[in-house]
Amino acid sequence: MPRNTKQHFSTILASTVHDIKNSLGILQDRIHHIAASRQHNDPDFMQLEFEANRMNHSMMQLLALYKIDNDKFNLDIDEYPLQDILDEVQAQQAPLLKMNDIKLTVQCPDELMSFCDYTHISNALGTIFNNSQRYSLSQVALSADQHGDYVCLTIEDDGAGYPDELLSIDPTDHEQMDWVSGSTGLGLYFVATIASLHQNGDKQGYIRIDNQSRLGGARFRLFLP
Amino acid sequence: MKLNLSSKKILIVEDYPVMRKAIKDMLGTLEIQNIAEADNGLNALKEIARGKFDVILCDYNLGNGKNGQQVLEEARLRKILPFTTVFIIISSEQAPGMVLGAMENKPDEYLTKPFNALQLLTRLQKNFRRKEYLHPVEREIDRGNLALAIHHCDRLLNEDDKRMRMPLLKIRGELALNVGDLTKAGEIYHEVLAERELPWARLGLGIIDLQRRNLDQAIATFEGLIHSNPLFMDSYDWLSKAYQADEQPLQAQEILTQAVDLSPTSILRQKKLAATADQNNNVDIAEQAYKTVVKLGKHSIHKSSSDFSSLAKLYSKTHASKQALKTLDDMRQEYINNPEAELRAATLETELYQQLGDDKLSRESFAKVRTLSEELGKNMPKDLQLDLVKACFLNDDQETADHILESLIKNHIDDDQFMDDIRTMQSSVGRDNHSEILIQKTKQELIDINNQGVSLFKQGKSHEAMTLLERAAAKMPKNKTIILNMARIALHDLKTAGPSEEKILLAHSLLKRAKQVGVAHDKIGTMQMEFSRLTHARPANNHDAA
Repeated sequence: MPRNTKQHFSTILASTVHDIKNSLGILQDRIHHIAASRQHNDPDFMQLEFEANRMNHSMMQLLALYKIDNDKFNLDIDEYPLQDILDEVQAQQAPLLKMNDIKLTVQCPDELMSFCDYTHISNALGTIFNNSQRYSLSQVALSADQHGDYVCLTIEDDGAGYPDELLSIDPTDHEQMDWVSGSTGLGLYFVATIASLHQNGDKQGYIRIDNQSRLGGARFRLFLP
Repeated sequence: MKLNLSSKKILIVEDYPVMRKAIKDMLGTLEIQNIAEADNGLNALKEIARGKFDVILCDYNLGNGKNGQQVLEEARLRKILPFTTVFIIISSEQAPGMVLGAMENKPDEYLTKPFNALQLLTRLQKNFRRKEYLHPVEREIDRGNLALAIHHCDRLLNEDDKRMRMPLLKIRGELALNVGDLTKAGEIYHEVLAERELPWARLGLGIIDLQRRNLDQAIATFEGLIHSNPLFMDSYDWLSKAYQADEQPLQAQEILTQAVDLSPTSILRQKKLAATADQNNNVDIAEQAYKTVVKLGKHSIHKSSSDFSSLAKLYSKTHASKQALKTLDDMRQEYINNPEAELRAATLETELYQQLGDDKLSRESFAKVRTLSEELGKNMPKDLQLDLVKACFLNDDQETADHILESLIKNHIDDDQFMDDIRTMQSSVGRDNHSEILIQKTKQELIDINNQGVSLFKQGKSHEAMTLLERAAAKMPKNKTIILNMARIALHDLKTAGPSEEKILLAHSLLKRAKQVGVAHDKIGTMQMEFSRLTHARPANNHDAA
């Protein structure tokens, strides 16, 4: 595509995403209301809400990546209590936790602070948390602690863990990502990108994934300088 | 902390009925019952003016009319929004991209759609906690008592709550800048930057350099900020100010152009670009910017008939008289039966019809000018008075012209920019140097009065000095230097002779007058600090109660 057509197209894409997000908002709300009016948790509604939530996260990722690509992206860095960010993530995912009947534990030292972009870090963690719920059996753990010059945000579950092919790739390298099958891959790529934009002097944010979860499944860690 | 929301009063501003209902239902699950609704910006402002709300949930996109950001901006400017209210802008986009337009008026929170009840609750908790903690500081800022605000800020900083340290330091830095305490401001910003490279702290250092007239350093700082944070709009505004101060108006224009490209909806920035390009005789850019200002003004509190007349004047300058007349017609459409707008139109039409060689219409317009200007009397902005002077000159009414000109010069003698505007106007009517003698004479007069005043003051005759300045102020009621010096003497009296009710009232009213005539913030700030110190001695403990 010629350059201006390409730009034109990406703008159309971005505004379509906005449009979809608006519709999604109403859709999610309606699903929520209908589900609440039922006597018991209907698995079909659970599924609907989960998928709507996932679509919303994908749209947000797409928008953020579009902006990064077009140099329209800016981190708004300030100092925040990590407890606030964990509260935010938990609140975002609360309706699903309830529906999936997943037990969540949150651990964060009082007054542990981090310099970061509140919105982007909350959304990035929300993306991973959303996936953890999908793969966990009954438990997810959210925690934060100081790790040398970094703060570390951890999401652990009791599922089957990350598959080997995902563990072996570098999530910052989009060449290695399997775009077709790897929905988890896109999420990790997005979070790794957001992490790497957080810098302090010569230190840079990064992510790590492994299967060392205290709950027996996957463990995701986000390190912020 | 369990937050009891049942007593809170909430306003939902949302044009889309389905969404309004959805948010209302959501608030219901949080046991909020006291809910008001508005379906557009105008109605939102009516509601805000009528009732004190604890929370305002305002959608960004409100269809035709004002958007959410403009609602917030207007509510703040009209002072109908209590500082205790949590104002949340809801948008379908990730914040803060689309709302770069008005960095000056940040909401307490951006909430991205879709959001659920628990998310809203979490945000409300966070904000109520913050507002409660900062209440003593924000209350005094709201009242304009910066000295007491600083006292509370320092007291809270001493409590050393890690969660609130950065927000407090940010406010403390701004307060120090506002009262002209550049040393303290510098200390704060260096302290923050030693810990982390934060744009607002770096910006603060740039502002300090600008105020100390270290222009090269200020420019380098703002440029560096733009390079590392291209969407941090404040640094563009400050860089353009620094270039202006450094007498590089072309660079100032260039930076404003960049800023406007990134964030096209900020009307104040567009106005600045228009005026700067106009000043640089860059007609095309000025025209485009004025047009944008007029368009953005439609729903903005910053809408002004002078935007139309500036555009018309630009056309007149390029001899596009027809376009100028058309612009004035557009203005009349927008401002029906508005005497100020009518006067702006008539004064310019006088000139435009002359350009077109239609003396009859020109004379008719000038007759209108006379009637309207009598009707408006002294309530005319200075730029309009200057237009009026020009129209008088063009119609050989030198007497009226000189009369108005004299009062303009006397009242604004310390405004160099405006004196230049006067000179430009004079040369445009072929009267170069006509007012120069008066300007120089007035300047000398002012210097003499001041010298005399200072000398009397130094001899300990502060009463005589005050009388002298009062007499001068009667002749030049809006002169900043005179009022500032009177306030200085009044403060000195307070300090040396001790406070009496009469003296306190005098100092207070002079400070207020200084603010009204537009004395620079940092100059009044220092004096306000002193005034508070003298009258409050020590802020008593009962001030601390929220």
